[in-house]
Amino acid sequence: MFFLRIVLMALRSLRIHPLRTVLATLGVIIGVAAVVSAMSILEGTRSEVEGRFATLGSNKLFVFPGIQRDRGRAVGNVNTLKLDDADEIARACPSVASASPQVTSASLVKFLSKNTQASVLGTSETYADINHYQVAEGRFITRDDIVGEDSVVVLGWRVKRDLFGGRPALGEVIKISGLLGSRGFRVIGVMEKKGNIGWTDVDRQVVVPVTTAMKKLYGLDAVSMILCESKSAENADIEAAKSEIKKLLRQRHRVRPGQQDDFQVQAQGEFLKQFSQMQNIFAVVLYSIAGISLVVGGIGIMNIMLVAVTERTREIGVRMAMGARRADVLRQFLIEAGIVSFLGGGLGVLLGWGMAQMLEQTTRILNTSTTTQAISWALSMATITGLVSGIYPAYKASKLDPVEALRYE
Amino acid sequence: MRRLVIRIRGLTKHYVMGDTVVRALDGVDVDVEEGEFLAITGPSGSGKSTMMHLIGCLDRPTSGTYELDGVDVSRMDDGQLAATRNSKIGFVFQTFNLIQRTSAVDNVAVPLFYARRTRVREPAMKALARVGLAARCDHTPSELSGGERQRVAIARAIVNEPRILLADEPTGNLDSKTGRQIMDIFHDLHRSGVTIILVTHEMSVALQARRIVRMRDGRILDDRPVDDALRDELMTTSLVPDSPPEPSPGPTSEGVARIPVARPVRV
Ligand SMILES: Nc1ncnc2c1ncn2[C@@H]1O[C@H](COP(=O)(O)OP(=O)(O)O)[C@@H](O)[C@H]1O
Ligand SMILES: [Mg+2]
Repeated sequence: MFFLRIVLMALRSLRIHPLRTVLATLGVIIGVAAVVSAMSILEGTRSEVEGRFATLGSNKLFVFPGIQRDRGRAVGNVNTLKLDDADEIARACPSVASASPQVTSASLVKFLSKNTQASVLGTSETYADINHYQVAEGRFITRDDIVGEDSVVVLGWRVKRDLFGGRPALGEVIKISGLLGSRGFRVIGVMEKKGNIGWTDVDRQVVVPVTTAMKKLYGLDAVSMILCESKSAENADIEAAKSEIKKLLRQRHRVRPGQQDDFQVQAQGEFLKQFSQMQNIFAVVLYSIAGISLVVGGIGIMNIMLVAVTERTREIGVRMAMGARRADVLRQFLIEAGIVSFLGGGLGVLLGWGMAQMLEQTTRILNTSTTTQAISWALSMATITGLVSGIYPAYKASKLDPVEALRYE
Repeated sequence: MRRLVIRIRGLTKHYVMGDTVVRALDGVDVDVEEGEFLAITGPSGSGKSTMMHLIGCLDRPTSGTYELDGVDVSRMDDGQLAATRNSKIGFVFQTFNLIQRTSAVDNVAVPLFYARRTRVREPAMKALARVGLAARCDHTPSELSGGERQRVAIARAIVNEPRILLADEPTGNLDSKTGRQIMDIFHDLHRSGVTIILVTHEMSVALQARRIVRMRDGRILDDRPVDDALRDELMTTSLVPDSPPEPSPGPTSEGVARIPVARPVRV
């Protein structure tokens, strides 16, 4: 009750100079807005990235070609991962359940007069099972297709719709343009509607045998990734799979002891860990900026409170004459500073949230998420800033001599 | 004899300004009994306000003793002084000193607030009603006339039911008609038992008190009850040697001659 009265009293005195008060809290407003929008972006990307990793499944390992280094400098990807490597990993590593080589490229696909942009994935028959991705009509590519380097294609749900609409696609021939020219592919299957797997919208993807993609479309002699699945999602199995793959590939690529791997193996969990480490670095930078802007904001609040104390010297004298103790005066100005800053923080939250929304709307790739945790964190920091900056002005007010204060013109 | 509420002995207040010492009060002895109505007069700079500040526990004397209700105030710490001001003393100022942009009732509630009362509006409204301003309770000072502002200030001074009401030139900023309304409220409060001490330049105001203390240069010149002898004397000599200009001098100079006769002090 008593506290509420002080709050009301503080609000009343804020009403007197609304514009001046807003200007004084500009530092806090901007600081909080920056923090809230940046936190929204961080949180948005985090949940987005975690969601995408979740679609991959936690028992996945990714084998990439190594980065060639010259005196520590990366000079380019090497074409170290061969098609056979995938087969051998699946065959010789006991902890690996299956492995699927992948080459990807974006291409134009055509059927008669219709065409659409799709990502072309060259892979093996295991791809669908590893990703729990089902065929809706027809069949998926088989080992025979791969061995025969057949020109067959399985369409993603959306590609099928774009090219064929409601008409049947099975048995028709579509054209895919690769680096080696345009080529006809017979449609053998259509996949279910799935959405994203990892970062790929598989509904906009077409799948062809990996051999056909490498030799007949793009002229490649190495794969861009081998996707592996460990026996289970147990940490021990993932670790075992990882070391088995490393050992096998070093042997196959004739990497001498002491020499660096010419490939990289990463488990899904490690990606997440790296990602959150990166996020933490951003967060530290962010909080430092927040801290600095709050200090600047605090100086603004202190300044306005000093002005308020001077302007209201007589009022302070009157309050003291009416029985206000020094502690009452101190508390009044402290709370006022806290409220000014809290309200500034509130404006900052609105502004930051608006900025995050705007970014999301305009970029369309950035995901943002303004959590209540971020908001309460920002608001409490703003309030604490206000209270701290209010200490000196409030102390000054409380130390006024009642008689002098009453005489003040 | 009635109970002493104020007992002042050898009170001094010195201000050091560079290497000169201003003796704002220079050895004052005063006793005030419960329920008295006392006027303090004297030329500007004679120490009247300083005296009021000391009586009102806003300040500590340089030397001397001041007992309020038998308690030595000069030994109190800041917190005790604040509590004493809150519960025992009501202040009325020449310039009203209401808090701006704050409604009349909220202004009146200020002392209740510092008394940590939970119910505030009801006593504040009662005090406003006492000065005849209940209807204006939601008006802010800028929406009130000078006389109304001073009445709000009086309501604020009495809301905690203090023993002593201190008024430093309460009619100084008002025309004489409004001043008389304010004095009527003081008489009303006096009748209900409040001890009233007021500082004034105006003879018409001072003569309404029961006792007049005249000051000069920080000392008490004389301290006399208001009786016919004093009234006669003041008809011929000046109450205040150097009266400051009045807002409306006409009615006042008329009042000086008229009031002691036309408005005899109620006994
Ligand atoms: N804070 C102060 N510092 C220095 N001198 C002061 C101060 N307060 C009052 N005085 C001096 O003390 C004397 C008495 O002042 P005051 O009590 O205000 O007189 P009055 O109210 O009778 O006009 C004056 O000479 C005034 O200048
Ligand atoms: Mg004075």
